[in-house]
Amino acid sequence: MAFPLLEVRNLTKSFPVKEGLLMRAKHFNQAVNDVSFFIDPGETLGLVGESGCGKSTLGRCLVQLYQPDHGQVLFKGMDINSLSRTERKQYRQSVQMIFQDPLESLNSRHTIEEILIEPFAIHNTGDRKWRLKKIQTLLELVGLPSNSGSRYPFEFSGGQRQRIGIARAIALGPELIVCDEAVSALDVSIQSQIINLLLDLQAELNIAYLFISHDLAVVKHFSDRVAVMYLGEIVETADSETIYKNQKHPYTNSLIDSIPVPDPHHKAKRHILQGDMPSAINPPTGCHFHTRCPKVMPRCKVDKPKLRVETSSHSFSCHLD
Amino acid sequence: MTDHDFGQSPVTSALLEVDDLSISFDTDEGTLDAINNISFSIQAGETVGLVGESGCGKSVTAHSIMRVLPQPMGRISHGSVRFNGINLRTLALPDMENIRGSDIGMVFQEPMTALNPVQTIGKQISESLILHLNLSIPEALQASIDILKRVGVPSPELRVSEYPHQLSGGMLQRVVIAIALACKPSLLIADEPTTALDVTIQAQILNLIRDLQNDMKMAVLLITHDLGIIAETCDRILVMYAGRIVESGSVTDIFDSPAHPYTQGLLNSIPRLVTPSKSRLPVIKGQVPNIRDYPTTCRFDNRCPHRQAKCSKLTPELEKVSESHQVSCFGWQGIQKERNI
Repeated sequence: MAFPLLEVRNLTKSFPVKEGLLMRAKHFNQAVNDVSFFIDPGETLGLVGESGCGKSTLGRCLVQLYQPDHGQVLFKGMDINSLSRTERKQYRQSVQMIFQDPLESLNSRHTIEEILIEPFAIHNTGDRKWRLKKIQTLLELVGLPSNSGSRYPFEFSGGQRQRIGIARAIALGPELIVCDEAVSALDVSIQSQIINLLLDLQAELNIAYLFISHDLAVVKHFSDRVAVMYLGEIVETADSETIYKNQKHPYTNSLIDSIPVPDPHHKAKRHILQGDMPSAINPPTGCHFHTRCPKVMPRCKVDKPKLRVETSSHSFSCHLD
Repeated sequence: MTDHDFGQSPVTSALLEVDDLSISFDTDEGTLDAINNISFSIQAGETVGLVGESGCGKSVTAHSIMRVLPQPMGRISHGSVRFNGINLRTLALPDMENIRGSDIGMVFQEPMTALNPVQTIGKQISESLILHLNLSIPEALQASIDILKRVGVPSPELRVSEYPHQLSGGMLQRVVIAIALACKPSLLIADEPTTALDVTIQAQILNLIRDLQNDMKMAVLLITHDLGIIAETCDRILVMYAGRIVESGSVTDIFDSPAHPYTQGLLNSIPRLVTPSKSRLPVIKGQVPNIRDYPTTCRFDNRCPHRQAKCSKLTPELEKVSESHQVSCFGWQGIQKERNI
């Protein structure tokens, strides 16, 4: 049986909220709650949701920045928590991350060369001459001038810094890159350049992406499949076209309706969600979305909907028919 | 360049008239020109969108209208800002303070930093009511509750005695809007009012601004980088690039027949829900020039796919495309023709 590249099973991660004089954990913030999904080789899975829905926590669990409370992360069928030392090192080569703020994720006191040589040094690949040659190739691949090596991060613009972050992520030939809001901080005209670069690299190197963003238009454009998260849970997963044209969950529907459309002739059937997202410390009973759902029914308040599988690629959790 | 009135309507007395405005910053590295010779006007009750990328001078323009440029570096080096016929640039400071918050309201990008963390919500709204409308403290508090109710804050009687940290981002932005609207201004300047908010909250806030504008017949200058927001809320658009207005026109002028290659590039490069997934996006090559070395010629020259020989020698003046539509580009006629084929 062929395994997907990455499979997440029932992943749960909560953070203690410490209170009082003795700073004891009184409550738990359920950041990610019983989440399952998979990513195939060379595929892009988009993960979309509002701030605080747990999408970044999920991404960080995958690159082992956080240790999940429950559940498994399987990479090519192997549980990443039971890897041997060498296998773990291998995993860390294969799964890389690109962060939102390219300035804060690059060491400002290191030159670009020093930043890009680090992955090779850590993983003990090649000699210095080989590494420098490889860096030239990387700079070329991400569209930076070849003399960038001796310069410092502050000498570059936001878009160029994100290219450096991308060069670092692809240095060791990863199979999966977790992109956490990788284009959100960039200007419109630069954002499209970086999206194109990531698409080109995927086509060339067969990299799979987990593309985390709050912007559904960008996610839909960039991904093969999209998972929509609300308050720590994935409420709907489908391929990009289905998410846009035939979405089933009322939350996905409201997300799409709330995106401003850059076309003055577009008359939106605006369905604006009321209220704020509830706190993950004390989530609502039943369906988490029932406090804001325009189609709420009595049973939604008590009965938590199970994941319904519509087609092999489309599933959602809602009581509505 | 005073004869270039950007998209001015036939009515002569505009609510706000910015004429040939230039703004400079005195820094250790010399004088930097953030804004060069921009002119535009806003009529009563109309919504004007100011769109451009970060660093193009959108916010500086807004700050100069309110005369809140960072001191002592920032100054208006040329031109005038007229509000109801009064020249704000030369107005005495006490008179300017009377206009701020009463005739012109302002909403900033970050609701979390725009409010005072150690004062109650009620006190912060009351402040301008007491100052500008001479209300007593109990009257001002009651008026604050009314306006909070108007902007959709639930249980306003309780909220007035709460502090900013007790409210969510969306609620705080409603409070900031409430402060800006407390004295019923005739002009609201909203500088990226929803950029820090989630999309569902953004939709709520934009609807709120639109409803209030209809009720109060207020003009809005909406500053944003999001073309979607512009298309949904504005009557007219000013497109800024590197300290200049490069195109202005009605919403349909700009979205249906953009004449400047920068505007065209921007419109083409945004990912939309309707474009096929995983297709390459058309891009504007290169990057915005640094403020320290803005070219003396057309500033879009180094990124322009349609550049001509004279683009790197001369600065294009503003030309009329139609009665409501103006552009500063030497080759706009050819470019627009090409686009329509």
